[in-house]
Amino acid sequence: MSRPITAVKLVLLGEAAVGKSSLVLRFVSNDFQENKEPTIGAAFLTQRCVIGDQTIKFEIWDTAGQERFASLAPMYYRNAQCALVVYDVTKPASFIKARHWVKELHEQASPNIIIALVGNKCDLVEGEGNEQNRKVAKEEGEQLAQEENLVFFETSAKSGLNVKEVFIALGSKIPSNVQLNIQNDSATSANACNC
Amino acid sequence: MSIRRPSMAERRSSMTQEGSLRPPVVPHLAGLEKPLPETVPEACDVVIAGTGLTESILAAALAWQGSSVLHIDANDYYGDTTATLTIDQLKTWVERVNKGEIKGYQDAVLYIPRGNEFKSKDFGIDLTPKVLFCKSDLLSLLVTARVYKYLEFLPLSSFHFFENDNFEKMTSTKQDIFTNQTLSLATKRSLMKFIKFSLDWESHPDVWSPYKDASIETFLQEQFKLEKAQIFELIFSIGLCNNNETHTPEALARIKRYLISYDVYGNFPVMYSKYGGAGEISQGFCRSAAVAGATYKLNTKLVSFDPKTKIAQLSDNSCVKINEQIIISPSQAPTDSKFLSKQNYEIQRLTVIVKKDCTQWFHDNESAAVVVFPSGSLESNNKQAVQAIIMGEGSGITAKGTCVWYMSTIETGKRGRDDLEAALKAMEGSILRESSDLDTQDYFDNANGMLNSVKLGQSFKDFVPKEKIQYILKFYYIQFTSIPHAGVVNPNLYRKNSVHVEDDVDAPDRGVIYSSLPSSEISYDGIVTASKILYEKVVGSDDDFFDVDFEDDDDEGSIANNLESAIAEDDDDDEHIVEPGAAPVEFAEDMEL
Ligand SMILES: Nc1nc2c(ncn2[C@@H]2O[C@H](COP(=O)(O)OP(=O)(O)OP(=O)(O)O)[C@@H](O)[C@H]2O)c(=O)[nH]1
Ligand SMILES: [Mg+2]
Repeated sequence: MSRPITAVKLVLLGEAAVGKSSLVLRFVSNDFQENKEPTIGAAFLTQRCVIGDQTIKFEIWDTAGQERFASLAPMYYRNAQCALVVYDVTKPASFIKARHWVKELHEQASPNIIIALVGNKCDLVEGEGNEQNRKVAKEEGEQLAQEENLVFFETSAKSGLNVKEVFIALGSKIPSNVQLNIQNDSATSANACNC
Repeated sequence: MSIRRPSMAERRSSMTQEGSLRPPVVPHLAGLEKPLPETVPEACDVVIAGTGLTESILAAALAWQGSSVLHIDANDYYGDTTATLTIDQLKTWVERVNKGEIKGYQDAVLYIPRGNEFKSKDFGIDLTPKVLFCKSDLLSLLVTARVYKYLEFLPLSSFHFFENDNFEKMTSTKQDIFTNQTLSLATKRSLMKFIKFSLDWESHPDVWSPYKDASIETFLQEQFKLEKAQIFELIFSIGLCNNNETHTPEALARIKRYLISYDVYGNFPVMYSKYGGAGEISQGFCRSAAVAGATYKLNTKLVSFDPKTKIAQLSDNSCVKINEQIIISPSQAPTDSKFLSKQNYEIQRLTVIVKKDCTQWFHDNESAAVVVFPSGSLESNNKQAVQAIIMGEGSGITAKGTCVWYMSTIETGKRGRDDLEAALKAMEGSILRESSDLDTQDYFDNANGMLNSVKLGQSFKDFVPKEKIQYILKFYYIQFTSIPHAGVVNPNLYRKNSVHVEDDVDAPDRGVIYSSLPSSEISYDGIVTASKILYEKVVGSDDDFFDVDFEDDDDEGSIANNLESAIAEDDDDDEHIVEPGAAPVEFAEDMEL
C-alpha cells in the first residue's frame, strides 16, 4: 500500500556561508564537505521523509546567491510552505540577517508559512575552551523564535546534530493530507490573489 | 566547469576574522551594526543590464557556459520590459514612462476607479503578455535548461474568432472539422487537404512558390478553393497573423506552428505560465543563471562604459572591469546614450481587468482564452487584427471573480487606439449579453442546457446592456521595437556600437551591444533566437548554447533514474494535490521537441 505523499516547498534563507547548503547536504545525503563551495550547480533538491503516517516530499529551494543583494525573485517565495532561516552561531551579523529574513518572509511569503530558525555550526562552540567562539547566545535565538512563533534549533551540519530534527519538526507541522487538501482548496483561491 | 569567482562571503570572512579580537562574552546583539553592504565583483566576463526574457535567457546560457556574469536591472523587480507587475508597480511604471525614464514606451494611461476592495498584490499584469506554443524553441529550452521546474504551466485550448459581430468558436482540429455541421462536405475536404499540406509545406514549393510574394488569402483562395470564413480562421486564429496580406510562406509557417503544437501535451496548442507570463519565465532563467554562479543586483543601472579600459561604471558607484562584452536592453540605456538603434515598429496595448469571471470563454476547467479580431471585423473598420489574451482567476494573475483582458495591435497612431477601444467594446458587449442572460430568466429557458452555444453565436448588435461592466483597471500604452512585425529576428539588429567614433567620445554607451525590445509577436517565438544571436556575439558561436549536463541537479541519481522516479512520483502525487481548474501540464524530461 502506498502512503499518501505531500509535496512541500521549503525555501532556505540566511547570510552567505552560514551553512544553508551544508544543512541540506546533511539532510539529503547525510554528508558534509569541509570546504563547501558557495552554492553553485545545485539549487533544487528533493527529499522524502516519513513523518507519522504521512510521507512528505520536501522540495528544497536554495537561494542560489540571489539574496546577496536583496535580489530574491517573488518566484522564490511563491507557495513556499516552509522556510529555514539559518544563521551561524559564531557570526553575530548573520543573526541580524536572520531577523531580517524572518521579517521579509512575513511580508513576502504566504501568511501560514511555517518557519524554522536555525543556529548552525554548533560544533564550533562545543567542547573545552571553544565556548568563546560563540557570538550568538542560545537565548537570543530562543527569544526571537518565541516572539515570531518559529521552530528553533541549534544545529551542526558537520556533526549532524539536530539536522534531521529540524526537518521533521517542520514536516510534522504540515497539516495531514486530508486537511491539506481542504486547506489547499481555499488556500489556492487566496493564493490567486497573492501574486 | 567554470573557474568560479571567490564568493563575497569567502573574501569577507577572512577579512573580518584576522582583524577582530574575539570578545570573551556573547555580545548583546542590539548594539551591533548592520552587516556591511556587499559590493559587486570588481571584474567579470559579461555585464548584462535588464532582466527581460531575452537577457535572462542569455544570462543563464552564458553562466552555464562558464562565463562570469553580472546581471543588473535598474528596476527593483525582475523582468524589465517583460515584467509581471502589481498594481502599485504599474502605477510607478506609468509615471516613469510619461517622464521619459523608460526608453521604448510612450503615452501610458492608467485608469483605476476608486473604491474597489482589491489589493495591489492581488494582480500580476504582464507588460508583454504572451502564450507558449507546445512545440517551440522556448519550450524545448525550458525543458533542457530545467527551468520548467520552477514554473507551472496551464493549458489554453479556446481560440475565439470575432466575425459579423459574433464570437465564433474555432474549428481548428480535425474532429471539429468533421463534426462541424455548418461546413459543407466540399469545404471539409478542402480544409483537410490544406491542413495535410501545411504540415509539410516546406517540401512542396511547387504548390506555394508561385505565391511567394502573394498574400496568404490569395493563395488559399486560388490553390485550395477555401471560403472566406475558413480563410480568415486560418489566417487570424490559427496563424495569428496581423492581417490578410501576410505573405504566403510566413503565414504557412505560422499556421503549421499551431497545428504541430496541438496534441503535444494534450488537446491544446498553447499554454501559459501561472502567476504571470514572460515575467515568471524571466525569473526562472535568472534563477538558473544564479545557480550557475551569476551575480544579481537590482536597482542598479549602467552609468557609462569605456571601451578602451573596458570599465563599466554602475549607479551604485562601483566599477566593473569587463573581460568580454556588455549587453544592455534599450529600456535601460544610460542617460545621454547615443547609439540606441532606431525603434521603427509600434505596438499598442490595452489591458483591462473586469469584475467578471468570463468563464463563458474558457474551455472546461481552463482559465484562459485567445480572442482575435480579424481585419475589418470591428466597428473601427480595423486594418490590422486585434489580438487578445483573456485570463481568469485560475491563471493566478487576478483576484477571484475578475478577469484580465490583454489586447494588442500593430496599428499605429490614433487608429490603433480606436481599434483597441472597438475591440474592448465588442468584448464588453459580448460578456454583458452572456452574463445577463444567465442572470435573468426573461430571454431564455435555462433548462435545455443549450444556452451557452446559442449565446456564443448570437448577434448582439442591438443589445442594450442592462448593467455596466465594472472595471478594476484600464491600462493603455505604446511600445516601440526594432524587430519587424511578424518578422524574423535578424543578427544585424544587435551590432556592436562603434568604438572609434571620434565625435562621440563622451557617449556613455560606446562599445555596448544593445539587445532588443519585445516584438509584437503574441507567442514567445523569436526570443530564443535573439538570445542565441547575442550569445554568439559574446562566445563566438552558439554551438554550446545550453549544452549543459545537469549531473548534480538532483539527489536521486542520474538523469535517467531521475526521469523514471519523477514520472512515477508525479503519478502518485497527482492523487493528492487538489488544484482548482485545469491540472498543470506535466513535462517528461526526455521529451525531445
Ligand atoms: N564547522 C562547521 N562548518 C560548517 C557547518 N556548516 C557549514 N559549514 C562550512 O561553512 C562553509 C559554508 O557552508 P555552505 O553550506 O556553503 O553555506 P551556504 O549558506 O550555503 O553559503 P552560500 O551558498 O554561499 O550562501 C563551508 O565551508 C562548510 O563546510 C557546520 O555545521 N559546522
Ligand atoms: Mg549555499
